[in-house]
Amino acid sequence: MTSPLQPTPDRLWTIEDDGFALAREHEVESVLATGNGLLGIRASVAEGCSLSDPATFVAGVYDVEPTWNGIPGLLVLADWTDLGISVEGTPLSLESGEMVEHRRVLDLRHAVLWRDWVHRDADGRVTRVRALRFASLADRNLAVQRVVVTPDNYTGIIRLDSRLAFAAARIRRWSTAPTSLPRPTMRVLSSDGQPDSVVSGAQTATTGRTVRFAIATAVNADGRDIGRPRRSDDGKDVRETWECGARLGEPIEFTRFLVVDRERSADQPTSTSDSGPTSVVRQVQAAEQRGWEDAAARHAAAWDERWDDCDVQVQGDDDAQRALRFAMYHLVAAANPEDPHVSVGARALTGEAYRGHVFWDTEIYLLPFYTYTYPAAARSLLQYRHVTLPGARRKAEAMGYRGALYAWESTDTGDETTPTSALTPTGEVVRILTGEEEHHISGDVAYAAWQYWQVSGDDEFFVRYGAELILETARFWASRGRIESDGCYHIRRVIGPDEYHETIDDDAFTNVMARWNLVRGAETAAIMADRWPDAWQALRTSIGVSAEEIARWREVADAMKTGFDRRTSLFEQFDGYFGLEDLSLAAFEPRTAPIDIILQRDRLQKSKIIKQADVVALSALLWDEFPRHVHESNFRYYEPRTAHGSSLSPALHAMIAARLGDDVLFHRFFRQAAEIDLANNMGNAAGGVHIAALGGLWLAAVLGVGGLRAREDGLVLDPHLPRGWAALSFNVQWHGRRVRVSIDRATDAVTLALVGGEGMHVALECGETLAAQPGSTWRARRARGRWNAWERVDRE
Amino acid sequence: MSDDNSGGRTATVIVPLDGSEEATAALPVARTLAQAEGVPLHLLHVGAQAETTQVTLQAIGLAAEEIHDAVLLARDGSPAEAIVAYAHETASRLIVMASRAHGDTGHGALGAVTREVLRRASCPVVLVSPERPRTAWPLRAILLPHDGIPTTAAAIARTADLAHRSGAKVSVLHIASTTSAPPAEPGALMAPRYLDQPQHEWPSWAREFMERVVALGGPPPGVNMRLFFDCGEPADAIVRFAGEHETDLVVIAWVAGWEPEQRTTMRKVIDQAPSPLMVFPLEQPSAGQVF
Repeated sequence: MTSPLQPTPDRLWTIEDDGFALAREHEVESVLATGNGLLGIRASVAEGCSLSDPATFVAGVYDVEPTWNGIPGLLVLADWTDLGISVEGTPLSLESGEMVEHRRVLDLRHAVLWRDWVHRDADGRVTRVRALRFASLADRNLAVQRVVVTPDNYTGIIRLDSRLAFAAARIRRWSTAPTSLPRPTMRVLSSDGQPDSVVSGAQTATTGRTVRFAIATAVNADGRDIGRPRRSDDGKDVRETWECGARLGEPIEFTRFLVVDRERSADQPTSTSDSGPTSVVRQVQAAEQRGWEDAAARHAAAWDERWDDCDVQVQGDDDAQRALRFAMYHLVAAANPEDPHVSVGARALTGEAYRGHVFWDTEIYLLPFYTYTYPAAARSLLQYRHVTLPGARRKAEAMGYRGALYAWESTDTGDETTPTSALTPTGEVVRILTGEEEHHISGDVAYAAWQYWQVSGDDEFFVRYGAELILETARFWASRGRIESDGCYHIRRVIGPDEYHETIDDDAFTNVMARWNLVRGAETAAIMADRWPDAWQALRTSIGVSAEEIARWREVADAMKTGFDRRTSLFEQFDGYFGLEDLSLAAFEPRTAPIDIILQRDRLQKSKIIKQADVVALSALLWDEFPRHVHESNFRYYEPRTAHGSSLSPALHAMIAARLGDDVLFHRFFRQAAEIDLANNMGNAAGGVHIAALGGLWLAAVLGVGGLRAREDGLVLDPHLPRGWAALSFNVQWHGRRVRVSIDRATDAVTLALVGGEGMHVALECGETLAAQPGSTWRARRARGRWNAWERVDRE
Repeated sequence: MSDDNSGGRTATVIVPLDGSEEATAALPVARTLAQAEGVPLHLLHVGAQAETTQVTLQAIGLAAEEIHDAVLLARDGSPAEAIVAYAHETASRLIVMASRAHGDTGHGALGAVTREVLRRASCPVVLVSPERPRTAWPLRAILLPHDGIPTTAAAIARTADLAHRSGAKVSVLHIASTTSAPPAEPGALMAPRYLDQPQHEWPSWAREFMERVVALGGPPPGVNMRLFFDCGEPADAIVRFAGEHETDLVVIAWVAGWEPEQRTTMRKVIDQAPSPLMVFPLEQPSAGQVF
């Protein structure tokens, strides 16, 4: 196949799955998924197998499935990738005949999934299949699939069968449900005066939103168009069949283009003036005319640009390098800077688990990556929180509070979508309280908005969106608790990030983040009044905030109970935590059961065992607010008590271990985080990749090992290269400037290059602050634990 | 497995009988299984082959009317060796035998001959407690503990097939261990290590578990299979479940060549399971790796 793209031979840029292990198929489909923030396509084999779960997700469009008690889940588009291949009437399958070779390679560099398959049938006929697919990063509503079939040792009839339909399994699941709820519908308009090569249709979700799609297909045999397919179309499913006499060694090339368009909502029927059924057809025809090579080249160029901005390079640890590239690949594939109405769900667009619901994961675990390397995506993700602000206001009001309380699980409206109960496999129905009690998310949203503004300098965002988010969340916190007789402001009946302990009082993470939010709220009001008085006047009128209310935020912040003990430097995770039973987690190892199943809810809640970073998460977010010994004390206290029952936890522990210079724990937790999706013996990834754990890997490397933090006047670095890492390089952006940082073990030096923009400050912890000029490169060496002065090296 | 290696020979269900009262405990179980499998029941006595059938009949301690639905045979040699050889010769689908014979010198509940048959047989072996009454044995409920490892999933197809033939329901039981490390085999699916949000994680996990069971086992349509979950020491959980859920047969996958006494779970289940136990031989699992 001549192509502007070939799979890279560099294994540091690929994730490979050799052979075929049926049991792992769902994991492989998630791990090797392709996406662009609008479309997410699982890596299912086109011809299907007995454990295929093909799905193409369309970001921001949700169905309400009856089987989930009305809880919305991401819409799954009819499977446009389906393609059966038959040789002399016998379908090729991974589960029959001989699999001479089978390999799927995800090329991370260009975000293309490649597949090579050599199949020998019972009569000895050998057929080669090479396939690729990608979701275009250059044109987000476009995806391309190409399958090349070559008869290796025979001349015979090869048939290609394509079926566009709802995935059968999904119909089955829905069909058992009560019929009183609306069902998603699909209409196919294939015979509506369109060219033969195009099938178009519309899929309407139960929430009323419609996704229009058009699919164009071309089939060539050795360069000749083999003509029109036989098509059967019953208005719901479309089947197309191409049959041709294939000559030995001559490839049959099948190329398919998908274009989608979403109607924003029922009352806003189209997202652009050029939309509707004819638009997707026009677009797909244009894409087909330009050819897949053109689409691939544009897509690859868009990814080159992303990698130029975000790549992190690790020398000396290939596993870590690949894990980081894998993480960044999925992070880029998850976000869409062009759509402020969507955010990134817990499994991104790679699987059905978590139903596309958006959690605090996005703000705390993902946003730093976007903020520092892909600011347009960060801005868009934060705008989603502005779009859904009405939902957050509704939730606060419904619970008797003021301001904005974000949904623990959010979809398209911002209304709470957390299920209220769960059926455990032991048959127990447990009440789920996170939707009612896990309130720190409001502080997390404000934190991410503020961080984005600090790092990007995007004043327009701050004035139009960020300020309102920060003010409305501050307002929520001021209404959430009260100053009690001890003179302290208490926030009672919450759940912190450690979700093992419910309905607790004064969770340290929640309260410290609330205090931070209140202080930033007051500061935001002052900044707005000072720098943008007109906008401030409009905003304060619109949300009705008064000077007295803002003054009270400071009072509340000053009175906030945080659980900090100056004597021990420890935060008590919540009121009464230190009095709980100190069970040793080591006593429960080895185990394959989660600790909350072993101990059961009641016993767990009476113990100090915690699910994930909670107080330690404060160190990750507010490092500069506390002295180092506070971070050290709390990490040493809480780390041994953390069961890591959340996939978010290991990476954040790796980050703090790196900042504290604990190489052993850094490696242990970094590896644990990397294995969540990449290990092949856990089955974790079957329902989609753990995008927060992947975001956490970037945090561990750049904010942990690099020790990167942002300040008002620039950046701070505090490198701690762990043993085994010879060098670490990364790119970040600050106020439009591009900065490249390299940390080298052999020379014990940090090199910093500032590309473009204006000058800026970069400080080294325990070292000198550099006033870097654009186009210059600087180096500082460490001697006896102290950094020497920066030296300019680009003139060397 | 013996399923497809008959080479045109008639498959069988074999019951070895040594003349002891204990050995005959296997008969009602074997009758039901032979019927369900649709294959003849062969009663095998290992002794002097020159003996007449009448002598063999006396040797196994049964009256002629008691073997009305079976074929009686005798073989020379050491019992375990002869049983395994005969099973191979007749492409036996199952060997059904008492877990212990009279005066058996084996360890615990497992007799010496039974132990040797278990070690060497290439077809499943059904162990029946010698204390079991000689009443008819209905097969209505099968318990299939499944550890989530692809290798042990080989037992699923056979169990599902048996369930299909007999109309029994299958309870698939996954036991999250508090005593062992996660297996290294690729494709293993344990209880979720990360329960980020139980309201999402458990339904996803249960669906994934059963979809793998179905894909790997390929049960015939209409087989009633349901997933159950427990936590703790596997043998205790199996015995507990079998006792609480009126189980007629427990199916355990077991790696060929392993010494039964060295496998704590196996030994305990043999000792304590309240129902007959089908031991399903497997190949060695492979090692795991990261992508």
